[in-house]
Amino acid sequence: MMDKITQIREKVGELLASGEIDCFIGYEVGPSGRTRPVFVREAEHADRLIWGQACTHNLTRYLPELVDPAAGEEGSGRIGILVKPCDSRAIPVHLAERQYARENIYLLGVTCEGMREGAGYTADLDGELQPRCLECELSDPVLFDALIGEPVVRSNGPVDQDLETLEQVGAADRLSFWLQQFDRCIRCYACRQACPMCQCPTCLFERDDALWSSPAHRLAEKRAFHLGRAYHLAGRCVECDACQQACPMDIPIRMLNQKLAEVIQERFEHRAGYEPGASPLVTILRGEEVVG
Amino acid sequence: MNFITTGRLEDLLNDLAAKSQLIAPVREGDRCFYRPVASAGQIEWEFGKPTLPIKEYFFPATERLLEIHPVERKNGGGGVRDYQVFETLPAAEQVIFGVRPCDARGLRALDALFLNKEPADPYYARRRERTTLIGVACETLMDSCFCTTMGGAPDERRDLDILLHRSEDGFIADPVTDQGARLLTDLALEPWEGDLPDYDRPVGWVLPEKKVMLDYFDDRYWRSMAERCMSCRLCAYACPTCRCFDVRDVRLPSVTGEIAFERIRFWDSCARPGYRMIAGGHNPRAEKGERLRNRLMCKIFYYEDQCGEVGCTGCGRCVDVCPVNIDIMEVMRFFAEKQGAAT
Repeated sequence: MMDKITQIREKVGELLASGEIDCFIGYEVGPSGRTRPVFVREAEHADRLIWGQACTHNLTRYLPELVDPAAGEEGSGRIGILVKPCDSRAIPVHLAERQYARENIYLLGVTCEGMREGAGYTADLDGELQPRCLECELSDPVLFDALIGEPVVRSNGPVDQDLETLEQVGAADRLSFWLQQFDRCIRCYACRQACPMCQCPTCLFERDDALWSSPAHRLAEKRAFHLGRAYHLAGRCVECDACQQACPMDIPIRMLNQKLAEVIQERFEHRAGYEPGASPLVTILRGEEVVG
Repeated sequence: MNFITTGRLEDLLNDLAAKSQLIAPVREGDRCFYRPVASAGQIEWEFGKPTLPIKEYFFPATERLLEIHPVERKNGGGGVRDYQVFETLPAAEQVIFGVRPCDARGLRALDALFLNKEPADPYYARRRERTTLIGVACETLMDSCFCTTMGGAPDERRDLDILLHRSEDGFIADPVTDQGARLLTDLALEPWEGDLPDYDRPVGWVLPEKKVMLDYFDDRYWRSMAERCMSCRLCAYACPTCRCFDVRDVRLPSVTGEIAFERIRFWDSCARPGYRMIAGGHNPRAEKGERLRNRLMCKIFYYEDQCGEVGCTGCGRCVDVCPVNIDIMEVMRFFAEKQGAAT
């Protein structure tokens, strides 16, 4: 049995050599030992690809900008991508939102042992498992064309108590907690840019003609940005935590998304990205919402 | 040079905090930031390289340039309002403790534009005049540090008012400017006769020449390196010398219903896709590779050409914070190797 890295390299080499895909998005190790996204276009470069517990980035954030239906004139127009189970949840949401067509992507699934804290930022990886990994329930990706590795039996219970603890405190204290967190924000937009779901051509918070959200880096604007972004992700966030991983100020964005995901599940029995073929939540009308 | 015990230094800092705004490294979770402090007790002494530089205390992320208020119109006005513009200049004195030599050097780079180019920027100038910089030499070298390549050093004193060297039970104080010396004279400190500490210095490398980088101006390398770029602003916002900004008039909140505005300037970054967009919708730097090239060329060549100072201090923060590991050192080494191969 070959290890996962060898299998990934062989498979990607074949896909590129046969012309089935034009480009493959995976992970490589940079010269300083840090893991990062890489775009492989030649079969002989497939040996740059790696896999491990530092492959934290959600690569699906690159798909909408890279998949170009017109590219088919020169190549196959198809982009291959390595997806771990959590990241794969972004694909059904992208497809439902018509970001690209299913036939224009090739999903190479990989089963996952969980990502470590510090992944992507350090060469020596001995951190704890990331909170999302401790709670992960997926044994394999929700959607794939080929799978590397055997499905992993997950036996993790929910262990991240942060949200539960915060919900115990009163509203005023909760507000002051969040304002303290938001105040650190430098509006670098790393969270938004790392997010597979933040695909608006012009972000609401960066419109030149925005009447009620100024570009100032002040608490009111920071709060508006973070809460606004969280609402826009309600029913769409796939809980990959790419936002929180990218945040240089350690703002616990995950908790906002978690809370909204809980509410969405409770009220609408919907969890983003679990069901291939599902429509976007806001377009599903049920019960009294149906007119006529 | 003098020796100052940690206790006496804390007294001095407490004294400064009482008389002016003291800014110092503070621990927040796993990170350190330069923050205003009320007393020396809040200072994190093992601060390494704080996540963000001291830039924001001279060039804030958002700065009010002026206020615009309606005023009573003379000679009646038939209901038409007059507006008057009010200048808003920063006033407070500030002392920044724990400045790293690379950060202080960043101010040299900012001075080149904001002070030395006519007209000088009054907001920046006011803050610069009213600030005292107390530096601490770097006893821990980090992986991303490359100050020596940019001509700096872990114990470079030039851009500070006082440089402190850590020693047993205290610090060796090296007053660099008169302003720095004045802070120390009243303290009647013991003179320091011993040697200064030895510091680990980053191994420097040779920067590529401009000609080589221009030869590769249209090379695919830029695209292949930048393809992973997420177009966030982090590299620029964490940089001690990035100084691009945008200006806008924003309505002031009002409880009385007064229609008043403020003019603000706020940080901007050339990594933003729309940064270079011009009227009519053309974008000369629409591609990520073009934007990365611009940023790095600005650091090493353009800024020096325009303002006379190199736009990089080798602090390595852009490397530390980049979520996808775009690394200025890697790019510079790539071109340095091309140059080596060519000669």
